[in-house]
Amino acid sequence: MKLLIVEDEPLLLNDMESYLSEQGYLCETAIDFGEGEDKMLLYEYDAIILDVGLPGGSGLKLLELLKEQQKDAGVLIVSAKDSLQDRVMGLEMGADDYITKPFYMEELNARINALLRRKNFSGHKTIVIDELHVDTVAAEVKWQDTAINLTRKEYELLLYLIVNKNRVVSKQSIAGHLWGDGYDAVDNYHTVYVHTRNLRNKINALSGYDFIKTVYGMGYKFTAP
Amino acid sequence: MKLLHRTTRDFMLATVVVLLVTASGLYLLLQREILSEMDEQLDLQSEILGSNVNDWLHIDNPFMQIAPAGADALPGVVYGDTTIYDPLQKKDEEYRYRKEIKEINGRRYSMYVMIIYIGWDQYFNTIFLLLGMAILALGISGALITYYSNKKLWRPFFLNLQSIKSYSITDPEPPQLRGSPIKEFEELRATLMELTERSRREYKALREFTENASHEIQTPLGIIQSKLDRLSQSELTEEMANYIMEARSGVERLSKTNKALLLLAKLDNNVFADKQLLAFHTLLNQHIESLTDLFLSKELTLDSDILPCDILANLHLCETLVSNLISNALRHCNKGGNIIIQLNANQLAIANSGPPLDFPPDQLFRRFKKGDKNSQGTGLGLAIVSQICLLNHWQISYSYEKELHTFTIAFNRSI
Repeated sequence: MKLLIVEDEPLLLNDMESYLSEQGYLCETAIDFGEGEDKMLLYEYDAIILDVGLPGGSGLKLLELLKEQQKDAGVLIVSAKDSLQDRVMGLEMGADDYITKPFYMEELNARINALLRRKNFSGHKTIVIDELHVDTVAAEVKWQDTAINLTRKEYELLLYLIVNKNRVVSKQSIAGHLWGDGYDAVDNYHTVYVHTRNLRNKINALSGYDFIKTVYGMGYKFTAP
Repeated sequence: MKLLHRTTRDFMLATVVVLLVTASGLYLLLQREILSEMDEQLDLQSEILGSNVNDWLHIDNPFMQIAPAGADALPGVVYGDTTIYDPLQKKDEEYRYRKEIKEINGRRYSMYVMIIYIGWDQYFNTIFLLLGMAILALGISGALITYYSNKKLWRPFFLNLQSIKSYSITDPEPPQLRGSPIKEFEELRATLMELTERSRREYKALREFTENASHEIQTPLGIIQSKLDRLSQSELTEEMANYIMEARSGVERLSKTNKALLLLAKLDNNVFADKQLLAFHTLLNQHIESLTDLFLSKELTLDSDILPCDILANLHLCETLVSNLISNALRHCNKGGNIIIQLNANQLAIANSGPPLDFPPDQLFRRFKKGDKNSQGTGLGLAIVSQICLLNHWQISYSYEKELHTFTIAFNRSI
């Protein structure tokens, strides 16, 4: 999967690039409008991560150019403005999703993943890890042929961890992903803990392997054997 | 007291005083003139008596009498007033008399002449009646003229006062002020225009500052967050892990406060004009459903009674409103307590059990007001809720009864 990241803040661009590369994406970067425009028009990408505020022009303008070229790359808009107009305009212009700074890398990754799953009609939409099958269309999880009965939150949590596998996913980030920004993360750590424990038990019961590791003080990590 | 009434009142008072003084002066002057004319006539009558003493001695005229006087009577003239009964009119009439002891041809005579005060009290009454009527007529017409012409002159002033009264600095348009040919009013208008324009500019600059500052903070926050993220991926000691975790929750709080400030600035900027008809009950149910596990983890009992409620409002703002109110209830509900959520077509009520507030309830909706200093909240949630209500003309109220904190929002259906 090939990604283009257009972001004018070098530190953030660097982090996004290294994080997404670790996740197995082929990443290219552009630091301003001109570079973004060149790369976008010359090459084909599966997804483009587009900052709205760019030196040399708006990210929304780039989106417009992209759509004129009828390229079907998925577009995730990143903005420092939690502005409704930007959001509505971006989505109306054909962007697939919208994320506001500051964000967790895991959340960004999960959004890109979901975006690519939606875009990629030819690709299969079942994630397989070892014998664990996650059907992202039906929202069903199986171990070999046995269905694992998960609540919606448990399913969302599992998917979030799988998408960010081999990384420590923080409790804050999980709380934000499951309940949105409006609720106090600190109060919800216990709930994150309860969900994770239940999820772990349900998978363990069938697989006998602990996919979800607790990293002390930090959060959780999903690893395949 | 209104200026208009005050000036009219003063004018009327002055009119009455001036007219009363005039009337009294007129009466006194007239009285003096007439008296001196009468005395002149009495002198003349006396002269006539004296010039023909022998004839008059035999004539019995009560108004012109002459009689011999004793030698001891001293010569001299006395004027005086008396009354005589008039048998025709059957009433006493007032008369003026002149009495003189005079020596004529070596003998002393006493001469007594008198004439009637010609309707003296009649004059008095007439003068004062006329003047009274004049006072009344002048007073009324004066008052009417002053009132109406003033009203016309003051009209621009009152209209401008009205538009300034209903003007808020957050209004998108400057106030509409009317011009006037009166110099003072025109000056006032120009000053007001300048004042409001300046306040608007400063207010706008402040809003823009808040918004820009918040934007500028977002990116560095993003960098800190992602760097902490990267740090946390390496092998860490327990101590380091704790540091990172604490740094993270600091960043998280800052980020939330910043987002809330940005939202408040946007609410002030009134950027959420796009409204749609939305099913508030569906939105509320979705929120409650997604939070069920949070209720469970705090061992809270949720009692909800949600009836259909369609409302014309901005979706994003309604979501923020619901999420802030439920978040507030969750945060302040005592462990094992209960939360009650009620919705019908006219109002939304969200209540949570808990100990009473330790500060006056009217400070609840203030920005950065926190009950518990250690609270993880931004202190902006309820300020945002109240701002959203204000924007939609909804009434929000708070009450504390039977250990229940209740927030009630009455949707205004007339707008």
